[in-house]
Amino acid sequence: MKRKLLSLMLVGTMAASMVACGSSADTATTDNASQDATTDSAATEAVQSDDENTLTVYAWDENFNIPALKAAEKDYQEVNPDFKLEVITQSQSSDVEQAVTLAAEAGDYSTLPDIVLFQDHYFQQYVTNYPDAWQSADGADCDWDGLGAEKLSYSTVDGTHYGFPVDAGTAIFAYRTDLLEQAGYTIDDVTGITWDEFDKIGKDVYAATGKYLLCMDGDGNDLFYMMLQEEGVSQFKDGEPYFTENETLVKVFNTLVTLAQDNVLYLANDWSDYTDQAIQGDMVAGVFNGNWIIPTMKQVTDNSGKWEIVPAPTLTGKPGYASNGGSSLYITANCKKTDLAKDFLAYTFGGRSAEDGQSITYDEALLNGGVIGTCAAAAESDVYQQGVDFFNGQAIYADIVEYTQNVATVEQSDYHYQARTALATALINVLQNGYEPDAALEEAETNLRFEMGL
Amino acid sequence: MYNHGKWLAHFPFLKERVDIVEKKKKGMTLAKKQLAAGWLFLTPATILIFIMSFYPIIQAFITSFKTGKGINIKFADPLTYNYSRMLQDVIFKTSMKNTFLYLIVEVPIMLIFAILLAQLLNNKDLKFKGLFRTCIFLPCATSLVSYSLIFKSMFATQGLINSILLKIGIISENINFLGTASTARAIIIIALIWRWTCYNMVFYLAGLQNIEYSVYEAAKIDGANGWKTFWYITVPLLKPTIVMTAIMSINGTLQLFDESVNLTSGGPANQTITMSHYIYNQAFGQGVGNFGYTSAMSFIVFIMVAILAFINLKVGDTRD
Repeated sequence: MKRKLLSLMLVGTMAASMVACGSSADTATTDNASQDATTDSAATEAVQSDDENTLTVYAWDENFNIPALKAAEKDYQEVNPDFKLEVITQSQSSDVEQAVTLAAEAGDYSTLPDIVLFQDHYFQQYVTNYPDAWQSADGADCDWDGLGAEKLSYSTVDGTHYGFPVDAGTAIFAYRTDLLEQAGYTIDDVTGITWDEFDKIGKDVYAATGKYLLCMDGDGNDLFYMMLQEEGVSQFKDGEPYFTENETLVKVFNTLVTLAQDNVLYLANDWSDYTDQAIQGDMVAGVFNGNWIIPTMKQVTDNSGKWEIVPAPTLTGKPGYASNGGSSLYITANCKKTDLAKDFLAYTFGGRSAEDGQSITYDEALLNGGVIGTCAAAAESDVYQQGVDFFNGQAIYADIVEYTQNVATVEQSDYHYQARTALATALINVLQNGYEPDAALEEAETNLRFEMGL
Repeated sequence: MYNHGKWLAHFPFLKERVDIVEKKKKGMTLAKKQLAAGWLFLTPATILIFIMSFYPIIQAFITSFKTGKGINIKFADPLTYNYSRMLQDVIFKTSMKNTFLYLIVEVPIMLIFAILLAQLLNNKDLKFKGLFRTCIFLPCATSLVSYSLIFKSMFATQGLINSILLKIGIISENINFLGTASTARAIIIIALIWRWTCYNMVFYLAGLQNIEYSVYEAAKIDGANGWKTFWYITVPLLKPTIVMTAIMSINGTLQLFDESVNLTSGGPANQTITMSHYIYNQAFGQGVGNFGYTSAMSFIVFIMVAILAFINLKVGDTRD
């Protein structure tokens, strides 16, 4: 009798769990067609909306990009009160890339939302290889010339506009003034200097404070790209790797070797080591990266007011301007409300609402997310002129907008990240595995050519 | 009529029933019915395995002869382009070297540890056996990603291990364990041993419980010491289990992925990257994937696993 009761209970629980699983599986398939949507909100929201005034968008980073999108929604509601933007949060940028890859390889774009936020350096190769996944943004009612030529060079393919810029990715070089002081320097001593002078100061700072004056993720080393862009040079020439014969690159490479050997440059093991240990673990006296790194720096509230921003050192000593990262918004093939999407993006990130010098999109994106756009008209707003406490009251946003105007456009390649990895590997080979710089660069070039199938 | 004999040999339970039926001279219809029932039970699983497993394998094999990305993918010329390309791929060779290093160092250490631990826990006189077994088996219950992340934070430049070593004076300044090739590899091996030893131990423990205690008693009477009983009784009797765990470990190590990705990200300079990790990087890690080339690499890994398992089976075969 007891056994019968037990087995009955067992069958009961199993049946109950199956019913539970069944129903949750149902909601999962109907509500969330994409397997890549990783967050809770994605599990309950559809990638497409039936409402004719609602657009869906994939985006990542709740502290940076998503406040900017919310601001754009609010802005567009001024002209279209029924408008709604459903943000489907992704945990990282690669989730969006993989969602597009999956949809395109399966030949089924119905899993994509109307709009996706996409990394600039990846976009060109996705157009080359999956041209059917995108819709052109040509004919959108906005002033393309006011959006920054360097920025648009990423989202324009063969003269066709595809994207609307969100953040500039303009590089900043931030110094800890209190640590510089301990080594006997001021912020003026590190403004407009050469990398050799920087090395000397860096050695003194390390000796006095034990902190590195520069840091980077050693695996995904963006320093090469940024330092080359300052000089107006690319790692590529006519679509081929340009390493060993590129004098500037060789100089940059040797500079980085010296900096690392002198304990001026700290190469973190990977990205989380860079953000969590190096920057937030207070190991460094200087940060050089795209301005999207600022929210990461701000996590260390103890250091508020001690940072200041200046243009980066260069090989010659002229002020250095570069850009790294940054992303734009693109309309996918799955969007059936193309006109609405185009108008929304043109009005907000395309800068049409900023024509009177004040744009809710750009103002609130900056206030709530620290997102600095490339729209020249929006930068005249008062919000951009105010001082930031974390940076000792410096009006960094206005400064960054000014830097943005000076960034040189250099040759881009589908193999941007592969080149980055190859150069990062070469640098570590010299520092750790006893390579000569020339041999390391040659191997990097050979490997990259191999990867590109040249 | 059916000729059941051949395949029935693989399903002894069915054959027994056929024998019974035939003995009773009730004709073939019942046997046929049971045969049909057997097929009926096998069909759903078989169809699912074909659709979910074999069909993708065939598709992947076809893809492995293609080159290009996205819509530009087409059959390569010559067809074996991806396979010959592999021979020139420096990073693939590095990843292969790393994987085999993990295999050669880690698997023997792990299996020896596992068998010793099993032997200790199998001791009849041991108290709190359940507690010890649970403690030792616990690492197996942690997910691969979370244990990798814990190891990563422990061995970070400012992590726990560095602080302890500094405090007790073994080192004078923090060591970048994960940023140096040799130590990073060592840490992956240590992590693997920590995570997988207990898993294999459970199999040995089960195997040990099947060995009659009287065999040991007889050995004791004959004057065999502990080492001799272990070497001449336990090991031979455990041989099937040892072969099985060895095949599983080799298979698992060749497909090693989580530790490489989460602990070291393959770095520094690809010095700890595994084959599966490199395949993943080529397919999903850097923009539009090169699916032809990655399929080809996956097939090479598949062939390696098959060859090693085959050798292992031959070595472990006790039949002459």
